[in-house]
Amino acid sequence: MTAALEFCAVEGGYEPGLPILRGASLAVQQGEIVALLGPNGAGKSTLVKAAAGLVPIWSGSVMLGGRDITRVPAHRMVREGLGFVPQTENVFANLSVLENLQLAAALVPKERRGSIDAMFHLFPDLARQRSLPAGRLSGGQRQMVAVARALVASPSVLMLDEPSAGLSPLLVGVVFERLKAVRETGVTILLVEQNVKAALAIADRAAVLVEGRERLVGAASDLADDGRLAGLYLGAGVH
Amino acid sequence: MDALSLLSYLAFFSVFAGIFAIMALGLNLQWGFTGLFNVGVAGFVAIGAYTSALLTGPEDAARFGGFGLPILVGWLGAMVLAGIAAFIVGVAALRLREDYLAITTFGIAVTIQLVALNATAVTGGPFGIQSIPKPLAGWLGTGLAWNLGYLALVLAMLGAVWWGLERLVASPWGRVLRAIREDEAAAASLGKRASAFRLQSFVMGCMVMGLGGALYAHFVGYIAPEDFLPILTFQIWAMLIVGGSGNNAGAVLGAVLVWAIWTVSGGALREMLPVAEQARGAALQVVLIGALIAVILVVRPRGLLGERATVSRHAAKVSPPPS
Amino acid sequence: MLQLIADGLVVGSVISLGAVGLTLTYSILRFANFGQGEFLTWGAYLAVSALSLTLAVTGAGVMAPIEPFSFGWQLPVAMVASAALTAALALALDWALFARLRRTGSAITLVIASFGAALALRNLLQFLYGTLPEYYTREIQIAIRLVPRDTLGGLRVTPDQMLVLGVTAAAVIGLHLLLTRTTLGRAMRATAQNPALARVAGVDVEGVVRATWVIGAGLAAVAGVMAGLVGQIRPGLGFELLLPLFAAAILGGIGSVWGAVAGGLIVGLAESFSVPLFGAEYRLATAFLVLIAILLLRPRGLFGEKA
Repeated sequence: MTAALEFCAVEGGYEPGLPILRGASLAVQQGEIVALLGPNGAGKSTLVKAAAGLVPIWSGSVMLGGRDITRVPAHRMVREGLGFVPQTENVFANLSVLENLQLAAALVPKERRGSIDAMFHLFPDLARQRSLPAGRLSGGQRQMVAVARALVASPSVLMLDEPSAGLSPLLVGVVFERLKAVRETGVTILLVEQNVKAALAIADRAAVLVEGRERLVGAASDLADDGRLAGLYLGAGVH
Repeated sequence: MDALSLLSYLAFFSVFAGIFAIMALGLNLQWGFTGLFNVGVAGFVAIGAYTSALLTGPEDAARFGGFGLPILVGWLGAMVLAGIAAFIVGVAALRLREDYLAITTFGIAVTIQLVALNATAVTGGPFGIQSIPKPLAGWLGTGLAWNLGYLALVLAMLGAVWWGLERLVASPWGRVLRAIREDEAAAASLGKRASAFRLQSFVMGCMVMGLGGALYAHFVGYIAPEDFLPILTFQIWAMLIVGGSGNNAGAVLGAVLVWAIWTVSGGALREMLPVAEQARGAALQVVLIGALIAVILVVRPRGLLGERATVSRHAAKVSPPPS
Repeated sequence: MLQLIADGLVVGSVISLGAVGLTLTYSILRFANFGQGEFLTWGAYLAVSALSLTLAVTGAGVMAPIEPFSFGWQLPVAMVASAALTAALALALDWALFARLRRTGSAITLVIASFGAALALRNLLQFLYGTLPEYYTREIQIAIRLVPRDTLGGLRVTPDQMLVLGVTAAAVIGLHLLLTRTTLGRAMRATAQNPALARVAGVDVEGVVRATWVIGAGLAAVAGVMAGLVGQIRPGLGFELLLPLFAAAILGGIGSVWGAVAGGLIVGLAESFSVPLFGAEYRLATAFLVLIAILLLRPRGLFGEKA
């Protein structure tokens, strides 16, 4: 079976000679939620940014549903069906909630264009705030706008960079519940997280990245009890 | 051309190159070592030239001054007044986005040009100020000997400015400047003090430019507003960029090279074009030099010499999004 | 008094038009473009050429004015042609210079490059057209007295001057609709706010950059033609407006279209009122004083969100 998203020995980084990704490989299957874990500086965010076309990939490849998207420019990724929600500044603060969604919808071809009403159905809070500038919303609501913005382009795979960052535990729960609902609609999800517990709670599988390579991949329920997971987090501190 | 007139021409050429080199060193302190973008070089040079001319010139019934003071007082006054103007501009613009300084310095150069042109009672208006005293002219006369004497003076000043700037840049103060330029975090951790460092560097650079203006005024003997048009700013920038900013040797090399290219191309265009077309030829010359700068910026952004022993060039490629 | 206000508003609306283009390029391209003033000059002169060409092709010789204005149908045609050519000039400059520097240099390198480009453009124009002033039309317009002389000094304006106000209003409203109602406009605002996120959301940022140049330079050309219509067309036309343009854009808050309009009108009024106070020769310095004042008092501008 073709993976929904597959990284094959990806090497890359911002500056030549300073690799952050050192041959990372990972396959995300259709309909899965995969959590990407690892200590600070392991390259988790860099890996999803590289897939999104924001970080140069020097060697290796990224495949989306069997198509090679390694060299596709960032702004074409939504057309290919790869959605990305960055960690910070992930909404257009000066555009209204509605405009955020209108813009994202207008930028993909008709067959990918999702219904904005459906987004407001999925995130009812946003419907009431639709004409407010997105920058005026609370952190949790902004995160919803960011996810909705990515979803309205009907991605086959959605990548999220630490959606729980800066949110209260209660809100993290709410956001993650919505992500489960998103998966129910058939979207494959790759989730970068520092919040290991919350991530493992909703993920099917998880991968631990250390120094730019995957070190441990397995079912989320197994990893939750695996002593090696903590070891990798601690061990990274030595280097 | 006989040997004597060649020598005379070379002395003339070198005096200008030396004066431009001093101005370029002032700009290098601001841009090369601090990352401050000054678009008003001509304005600060004009302040220096007019100040020294007024302080040292003979009394003129038609306007304010001159005061007949010693030439050294004139040069000091030139530096002080250019420094004061820089302080005012710097306080308004330096704590803000870096390109606001560019706009503000552009504004002060335009304003100074207007004052030079219109405040006839002080600046002599469009006719400018004549009979600015020539130092040592009593001993050397006004011929070749004087040109050579003034060249020695300019080179001595150039040496002094160079030495002073090298000392400054190597001092702890200079290292802080570089840290501010290279590293946003270092700048942020210094907070208000970072602004103070920038302001000091900006003021000192403009004082050096003011000195350059004074040296120019006393060499040529008369000044007028048209000596301080934006083209002068552009020439100084061209010198710094061609030579390599962040490197004092580069600034001086650039001054000599660009001034040579400028005079040779100007001479060639004068030879080639009929008298009626001279003005258009001068315009074309600026276009060509402008194109040269653009090519160097694109092809060799560090100039001919580049920066010595630097860790990295400006870390941020493009200013972060305003959020 | 009334006359000063009217004159200020006419000059101010030319500044507004140029400043709107400047504020757009400033916020989306992220650098202070010192070439913006030259786009005004080129716009004014390219319209002169387009006008003579139109007249030559139609064999008209001179324009037959459309009452009550001083010009015939050929000038609007020439203005549209000039706006297109000025936009093409901006795109060529971006391709040859700015696009390359965006990839490798810092934002301030772009400012230096624009300063050099401005000087080269101004001198190239002088080389091509010479320094003698030009006019679109030699028709003498009779100013209409709107307010009698005994009320606040009276008020006289020419139809052309009123047209300048009208064109500015129309252009700005059109731009506002573009920015708020179209995908391109939203993409431009999105790019101004966060270019990286814009790319993630699917915006072709290079395309937006090109559109921004086209709009900014097109508006500058219109402003240049308006300036030429109510004054002289000289090689220094745009250069002298550059400082007012920056003052207006910063006064209004970088990125704010309405701010740039308000800023332009305020700078125009300030210039107009400075004449009886300081004399006409210092008119150009007014913009500098406005600039210093705004930087000291409210650096993010009247409508700006943040400095």
